[in-house]
Amino acid sequence: MIDFEEELKKYKPSPEVEEAEETIRNHDMTDMTDILLEMMQQSRNEKRR
Amino acid sequence: MECLNCGTKLQQGDICPNCGMDVSVYKKIMHMSNFYYNEGLAKANVRDFTGAIESLKKSLYFNKKNIVARNVLGLVYFEMGETVSALSEWVISKNFRAERNPADKYLRELQKNPGQLEAINQTIKKYNQAIAYCQEGSEDMAIIQLKKVISMNSKMVRAHQLLALLYMKEGKYENAAKYLKAAEQIDVNNTTTMRYQKELREQMKNVKHKKEDKISYQSGNDTIIQPSHVFREHSITSMVINLLVGVAIGVAITCFLVVPSIRHNMVSDKKAEINEANSTVTTKEQTITSLKSQVKDLKKEAEKAKKEKEASAQRLTSYSKVIEAYAAYIKEDTQTATAALEQVKTEDLDETTKAIYDQTNTELQTKMMDTWYAEGTKAYNSYDYQNAVANLQQVVNVDEQYGEGYALYYLAQSLRRTENLEKALPYYQRVVELYPGSERARTAQMYLDQNPGAAGSTGGSMGSDAESTVTETETMTNTN
Repeated sequence: MIDFEEELKKYKPSPEVEEAEETIRNHDMTDMTDILLEMMQQSRNEKRR
Repeated sequence: MECLNCGTKLQQGDICPNCGMDVSVYKKIMHMSNFYYNEGLAKANVRDFTGAIESLKKSLYFNKKNIVARNVLGLVYFEMGETVSALSEWVISKNFRAERNPADKYLRELQKNPGQLEAINQTIKKYNQAIAYCQEGSEDMAIIQLKKVISMNSKMVRAHQLLALLYMKEGKYENAAKYLKAAEQIDVNNTTTMRYQKELREQMKNVKHKKEDKISYQSGNDTIIQPSHVFREHSITSMVINLLVGVAIGVAITCFLVVPSIRHNMVSDKKAEINEANSTVTTKEQTITSLKSQVKDLKKEAEKAKKEKEASAQRLTSYSKVIEAYAAYIKEDTQTATAALEQVKTEDLDETTKAIYDQTNTELQTKMMDTWYAEGTKAYNSYDYQNAVANLQQVVNVDEQYGEGYALYYLAQSLRRTENLEKALPYYQRVVELYPGSERARTAQMYLDQNPGAAGSTGGSMGSDAESTVTETETMTNTN
């Protein structure tokens, strides 16, 4: 049984076209390649020590 | 595929041919990204947009620079009516690869039609307004707004779902089913749509059970519902009594329930109409304000362009006048040259033309001074003092020491001889100051002594006495 009040609360306002820039800025752009590069960098640093 | 360390194109092996780095993990990551892209594309092809979004996001999580995956994700968002999310993905995609990117075409298509973009924005605003109405408890208003949203953008899945939810809450299950079916046609495996449909089926089942326990029939505009298994008396008296009681109840229901209900419905309808009208007025006002602002900007631009045009015309005139003056100067037509130079605005000229202007002006002025002085002295010697004054005055205005002060001296003499002794005295004074001890200074001093305080009343007779002295003592000298 759906709790209508709770279900209605799940609907959030959609970003408007003027807010597209903000949406792009808040986009998390980290991917596995970044993580791999970071791990490689850490490994190099440890070897130097 | 390029090496993540040095950017060299990778071969079949797991070692980069250039930097020697082990790229086996990196290659696996790229393969995973491509795998999820293929999965997402397959789901998008069968309109399973929710599944496609999930797979494409995973693909981008492995490789954010997977341009095709990002572009398809944008297309899926656009197909679901999530235009801003679609725009965001295409902009990011274009940022990663500026050349030969289909996202560029998608963005251009949208930007080419500002009306479409404005309509999309209006749809989003109305959708947000509907959510605000839901939060305020004005669900009937929210339904009106959502219907408008769907009429403007029939692909917006979230609007269909919210509208269906509101209808379910109001018990209008058939309407809810209609919008859930529409949402399902856009995105076949949407979990929210499926959850609502399941809920709807249960609700409708309960209603069906309740209906089976009752008999309902239409009486005019009213739906009469009564239990199916009731005791009925079949005698005529009881029938009449029941009939009368029924009529009485009917009248009572009409007076106390139906009429207020109709009134309440009318008031609600009117309120809804007023709110809708207000909403339309607000939209129109926004458009008017925007158009006014555009008109204002255009007027400013037109004014600026007009000023620039005028400035350019003035600049052009200045240049043409410099050329005209220079040409006239070459032909020794000093009058035309001077007239042309007077019309030049030096601030309009560049450095080279300004140098030509300055040179021409200086040379012209020197030439004019020589001409005026020659004309002046010639007139003076011919006793044409009016003409002498006219020419020498111009010389003195520019350089009072011209011709070693003779221009100044002859001007004073000419003025005195044209009965303008008062005007002549300041020039005599300058001769005394600039050339003390000269014959001219002595003569000038004599006239000054004869007219202390520049007394005009005695000037006439004294002037005539002095005249004979000057004509005897002074010899006309033309320094040029």
